[in-house]
Amino acid sequence: MLIITRRPGEKVMLGDDVVIEVIEVSGSSVRIGIDAPRSIPVYREELWQAVKAENEAAAKADAKLPDNLPLKT
Amino acid sequence: MPTQTITLESTRFGSVEIPPEAVVDFPTGLIGLGGRRYAILARDEDATFVWLHSLEDPDLALPLTNPWRFFANFEVELADDEAERIGVDEAEETAVYVTVRAAESLEDFSANLRAPILIAHGSGHQVINQAPDAPVRAPLFANTSEVAA
Repeated sequence: MLIITRRPGEKVMLGDDVVIEVIEVSGSSVRIGIDAPRSIPVYREELWQAVKAENEAAAKADAKLPDNLPLKT
Repeated sequence: MPTQTITLESTRFGSVEIPPEAVVDFPTGLIGLGGRRYAILARDEDATFVWLHSLEDPDLALPLTNPWRFFANFEVELADDEAERIGVDEAEETAVYVTVRAAESLEDFSANLRAPILIAHGSGHQVINQAPDAPVRAPLFANTSEVAA
């Protein structure tokens, strides 16, 4: 992993189009600004992991799913 | 956009004819799974579960359901930048699905309300739902254990 030291207000470029800026450092939190093209979705990593895990679990489903299910009322 | 019927050779469903209008393009794929071209397969119009089937990977398919069938109060709230990214305009023209985690018993079935799939005009996006009550694993059949599977 590439590790770079930056101060608030300083930025990192990922290629030509993605800009990551350190906005503020406060205690153990860092506020980061991300400027990316619309085509690139940005996710918090833990949420990305959780959704990836659900997608993978869903993709394991057998072709036979129950039909005529009781619906929640 | 393809103009001819595609024959999908699915490991689950065998050979399936896909009309061109059923093809959905996911510009950024499914979160963590990727893929670009998918189709929605349904046994019939009223099916509880439909399948989002990859047209690139014969083994990749996820069961989906209409969230309002199970969660009457379900809502999708998008962050401004995400709404802008996917370009959703008229809500009524957008189909909303959630992915389903299947299990041995019905009580363990769940749906991911946090990352619904929006489809409009042949284009699909899995988005992050900002609504407060949108867990990644919402039980589909909680409190229905008395109903035989």
